[in-house]
Amino acid sequence: MKQRTHSERISFHDSIVTMEVDFSSLTFTDTVAVDTFYDEVERRLAATNKRWYFLVNYTDCVIAPEAWDRFAERGKIANVDYGLGTVRVGATSQTRETIRQRAGLESFRANIYDTRDQALLVLGEMRKRRRESETATEETFLRVEGINLRFGGVKAITGVSFEIKRGEISSIIGPNGAGKSSMLNVINGVYHPQEGTITFLGKARHQMHPHQAAAQGIARTFQNIALFKGMTVLDNLMTGRNLKMKCNFLQQAFYWGPAQREELEHRKKIEEIVDFLEIEHIRKTPVGRLPYGLQKRVELGRALAAEPTLLLLDEPMAGMNVEEKQDMCRFILDIVDQFGTTILLIEHDMGVVMDISDFVVVLDHGEKIADGTADEVRSDPTVIRAYLGTAH
Amino acid sequence: MLYREAGQFKTSYKEDQQIFPIRQDRIVIALILAFFFLVVPNFASQYWLQGILIPTLIFALAAIGLNILTGYAGQLSLGSAAFMAVGAFAAYNFMLRVPGMPILAAFVLAGLCAAAVGMVFGLPSLRIKGFYLAVATLAAQFFIVWVLTKFPWFSNHSSSGVITAQKVEILGYAFESPEAKYLLTLAVVCAFALLAKNMVRSTLGRSWMAIRDMDVAAEVIGIRPMHTKLMAFAVSSFYCGVAGALYAFTYLGTVEPEGFNLDLSFKILFMVIIGGVGSILGSFLGAAFIVLLPIFLNVAMHMLGSLVPQGISSNLELIVFGGLIIFFLIVEPHGLARLWQIGKEKLRLWPFPH
Amino acid sequence: MQFFFEVLIGGLLSGVMYSLVALGFVLIYKASGVFNFAQGAMVFFAALTFVGIMELGVPFGFALILAFGAMILLAIATERIVLRPLVNQPQITLFMATIGLAFLVEGLAQGIWGASVRGLEIPGIQDEPLEWMMEATGIGVSKFDLFAAGVSAVLVVVLAIFFNKTRVGRALRAVADDHQAALAIGIPLQDIWRIVWAVAGLVALVAGVMWGARNGVQFSLTFVALKALPVLIIGGFTSIPGAIVGGLIIGASEKLGEIYIPPFVQNSFGIETSLGGIEGWFPYVMALLFLLVRPEGLFGERHIDRV
Repeated sequence: MKQRTHSERISFHDSIVTMEVDFSSLTFTDTVAVDTFYDEVERRLAATNKRWYFLVNYTDCVIAPEAWDRFAERGKIANVDYGLGTVRVGATSQTRETIRQRAGLESFRANIYDTRDQALLVLGEMRKRRRESETATEETFLRVEGINLRFGGVKAITGVSFEIKRGEISSIIGPNGAGKSSMLNVINGVYHPQEGTITFLGKARHQMHPHQAAAQGIARTFQNIALFKGMTVLDNLMTGRNLKMKCNFLQQAFYWGPAQREELEHRKKIEEIVDFLEIEHIRKTPVGRLPYGLQKRVELGRALAAEPTLLLLDEPMAGMNVEEKQDMCRFILDIVDQFGTTILLIEHDMGVVMDISDFVVVLDHGEKIADGTADEVRSDPTVIRAYLGTAH
Repeated sequence: MLYREAGQFKTSYKEDQQIFPIRQDRIVIALILAFFFLVVPNFASQYWLQGILIPTLIFALAAIGLNILTGYAGQLSLGSAAFMAVGAFAAYNFMLRVPGMPILAAFVLAGLCAAAVGMVFGLPSLRIKGFYLAVATLAAQFFIVWVLTKFPWFSNHSSSGVITAQKVEILGYAFESPEAKYLLTLAVVCAFALLAKNMVRSTLGRSWMAIRDMDVAAEVIGIRPMHTKLMAFAVSSFYCGVAGALYAFTYLGTVEPEGFNLDLSFKILFMVIIGGVGSILGSFLGAAFIVLLPIFLNVAMHMLGSLVPQGISSNLELIVFGGLIIFFLIVEPHGLARLWQIGKEKLRLWPFPH
Repeated sequence: MQFFFEVLIGGLLSGVMYSLVALGFVLIYKASGVFNFAQGAMVFFAALTFVGIMELGVPFGFALILAFGAMILLAIATERIVLRPLVNQPQITLFMATIGLAFLVEGLAQGIWGASVRGLEIPGIQDEPLEWMMEATGIGVSKFDLFAAGVSAVLVVVLAIFFNKTRVGRALRAVADDHQAALAIGIPLQDIWRIVWAVAGLVALVAGVMWGARNGVQFSLTFVALKALPVLIIGGFTSIPGAIVGGLIIGASEKLGEIYIPPFVQNSFGIETSLGGIEGWFPYVMALLFLLVRPEGLFGERHIDRV
C-alpha cells in the first residue's frame, strides 16, 4: 500500500470551511516527526489567509509519549492562529483519555467522536451557532436588572443585575444563603421578584410562571434532586419532553396510531441522551432506587430532554467525589459543544468554576459584589474577603 | 423454566413499549381472555355470573377510575360512589327522555356527565392537597346523593328516588339473560381497561405521576398542574360514571341514591389499596378480592358454626376488612399487584430458589 | 328573634360537642402527625364499652374508670399493631391505615357488646331547658347542652396546659414535628405515642358519653367523626383553640343553615319540594370554601415548600 505524504493527508473543504487532517495509521515517534507534519499544515493554512474549522482523524494514530507535549503544543498554536474550532475522530481509548486529560488541564473542549459522520454533524452545529451568534448579537440572551426578592421581612436578593451571553458557561458563586438558588428560581419563574426585569431572548418581563419559562426553552436541575421517584429513568426523561408532545388524551387512549408514532419518535431522542450520559444500564430502574450520583445524572438528562436554550444547574456537583465531578464537567462541556446550550450554574467547587466558566457572578447576602471572567473575579479583593479567602 | 425471557430480544423501541413484552405473558393473557369470553358464559351458573363476575367487573372499572385519580395522580378521593350515582342516573335519564337513544351512547354520555361533575368537584385540588382534598370529595359524596334524592326530576318523580333501569338492547338484540349481560359488561370493561392502560403509559400518565411525585418540579418542566389534575378528575369520574351506569343496567336493575353511599366509596378505596395503588391489574385483583371475601367469610362461618361467638360472626366482615387493610399497608403497600409481580419474578427463577 | 337565638345557642352548644371529638383528632395529629380517621370509631367503642360495663351492674363512676382502662389498652394495641410497623411511611399511608383501624374497632365494639341501641343517662343532668332562662327570655337552652359545654371547656383548658407547659407536652410537640429528630434526641417515640393515643382515648370517652347521652349509643356515633373533619379544616389541624372555634362555627352554621336556608331557597326559586337535610353536606361545602380561601385553617400553621 502506497504511503500517503503529509501533503496528501491535508485537505480543504471550502463549502464547510473545514480543513481535514488525516493522522490515521501514522506513528509519531519523536518531536521531529511532529514538527515536520505541523510545518506542512501551517504552510498550507498560511497560504489560504483565513480561518478554518479543523476535522482531525486519529484512527490508529500512535503518538509516542515523548512526542505528546510537542504535538499538543503545535496543535494549540495552529488553533489559535488559524482555527475556528476542532472536532476529532477515532482515537483509541488511551489516546482519547490523554486528549481529555489535556482538555481538562488546558480548558479546551475534547470533542472526540467515533465516526467521521458524527464529527461532521457536530461541526455543522458549531458553524450554525457561529452564524446565529453573529446575526443575533444585538439580541440580549439573558439579562436581569434590579432584581429585588423578599419573603415577608427577609430580603433574599437586593438590586442584583447581570447579563450572560449565549453559548457561554456562566457561574453564580457565593457563600451559603447568598441568594444563588433564589436567583435561579427567579430566572425560571418559581419565585416572583417584587421589583426588577428579566430579559430573555430579547423579551423583557417582570415575572413569569414556571411553565412559561419551560416553554421558552429554560430548563433546570435542583439542589435537592427533584426527580419523580415513582417512575423509571426512561419515564423521567420522557416527562422532560412533554412540551413537545402534541397528541391529545383521546389519541393517547387509542394508542396505536399518532400517539404511538410520537412516543417512538421521542423515545429515539431520549435514547440519544441516555447514550450521551452513559446511563443505558439503568434505563428501566425506578429512580428512587438509584445512588445519588446517578440520580443527579438522570436529572440532568431530564433537563436536556427538553432541548433547552438555557440550562440552569443548581449545584450539579454537590456530594460527588473527584471522578464523578470530572465526569460531570465533561458532560457540561459536551452539552455546550454538542447541543449549543447556554449554561448558568451554581457551584461551590472553585476549581471547577474557574476551569469551565466563561463568566462568573459573585453574590453575597443577596447582593452582587463582583462579576467578570474567572481570572478577574479570582483576584478581586472584595470577593477574596467575602468568599474565597486567600488566593490559591 | 417455563417463564424465561431468554431469546426474546427486543430489536425496536416499538417492541420494547408493548404492554406485555414477554411472550409467555401474551399467551397467558390470550388464554385468560379466551376463558372469560368463551368458556365462562357456557359453564358458569347464574349465581356466579350475576352475583360474582358482573359486580367484580363493574367494581374493577370503578376501581380503575379511582386508581387513576388516587394512585396515578395522587389526589385522594372519598367520593367515587357519588360519581357512580351520577353515571347511573344520567344513563337512566338519557334513555328515558331521549327517544331512540342507543344504550352504549347512553353509557358514554353518562360517563361524560360524571366527568363534568367530577371536574367541578376537582377544582379545589388546584389549591389543596392530601387529606384536605379528601374532605372536598366527601362534600361531593354527600352533596350529590342529597341532590339526587331531593330533586324528583332525576328519578322521574318516583317515591324515595328509586329508579328501574330500562332494558339493554343493542341493534335490536336484547341483552336479557345473565350470560348476555355478563358478556356485554366484560366487553365494555375490557375495552375501557385497555384505554386506561394506554393513557397511563403515555404522556398523560406520566404527567399524572409527575404531579403526584413532585408537583413543583413538574411545573418547572412545563406540565400544567391545573390541566393535569382536572384531567385526572375528569377521566376518573368518567370511569366511575360508566361503572355506575353498568351497575344499574346490567347488575342490580334497580338502584337508589342511598345505595351509592360513603360505604361504597370506602369499598372502592379498599379495592384500590388491597389490589395495588397505581396498577390497572391491581384494580381487577382488588375488586375480585373484595367481592369474594364476604362470600368466603360466610362459608367459613357456616363451617365453623357454633365455634365462633355470635357477635363476632355478624361483625366479622368489618373486622376482617379493617384488619386486612392494615395488614396490606404494613406488609405490602403496593397490594396484590405487587405480590403478583413478585410471584412472576419467582417463577422466572423456578425451579431454582434464587 | 327568640327562635333565632334558640337555634344559635343550640348550634353553638352542639358545636362544642363537635369540638370534643375534633380535640381527639388534633391531639393525635399534633403528637404523631397521623390523621386518625378511627377517632369516631374510638368514640363509639368508648361509649359502648362504658354502657356495656354499666349493664353488667357496675356503678357510673367505676364504669368510667374501667372504660378508660379499656381505651388505654386500645391505645397500646394500636401503637403496637398499627403505628410501629408503619413508622416511616408517608402520611397518606397512615391515614389509610386508620381507615382500616376504624372498621376494625367498629366491628370489635359491636362484636363484643352487641349492636342494639342503648340509652345513656348522666345522673342529675337532664335534657330540659334551664328554667330561669326560659322565664326571663323565653329562650330554651338545654341544661344538658350547657353541661356538655362546661365539660368540654374544662377539658380544653387542661389539655392546652398539658401541651404547652409540661415536659411531656413539649416532647409530644417535638414528635409531631419530626419523628426521626425526636428519636435522635432520645425521646421514647413508642411511649409518647401510647400516651397520646390514651389521652385521645380519654377524650373519645368523654365525647362518647356526652354524645351517647344526647343521641343514644348507636352505630351512627361513628359518623360524628366525619362531622369533625370540617371542624378541623376551619380551625386548623394542629390547634386546640382552633378545634373549639371551628366546632362553634360548624355547629352554629349547620343548625342555622338547616333552619333558614331551605325555606329561603325554596321561596326564591319557587321549588315545591322540601329542601331539608342540608346539614348532611353543608358543613363540608363550607369547609371546602374555607379551604380555598385559607388552606391552613384559622389557627393552623402555614406550610411552605422549599424547592
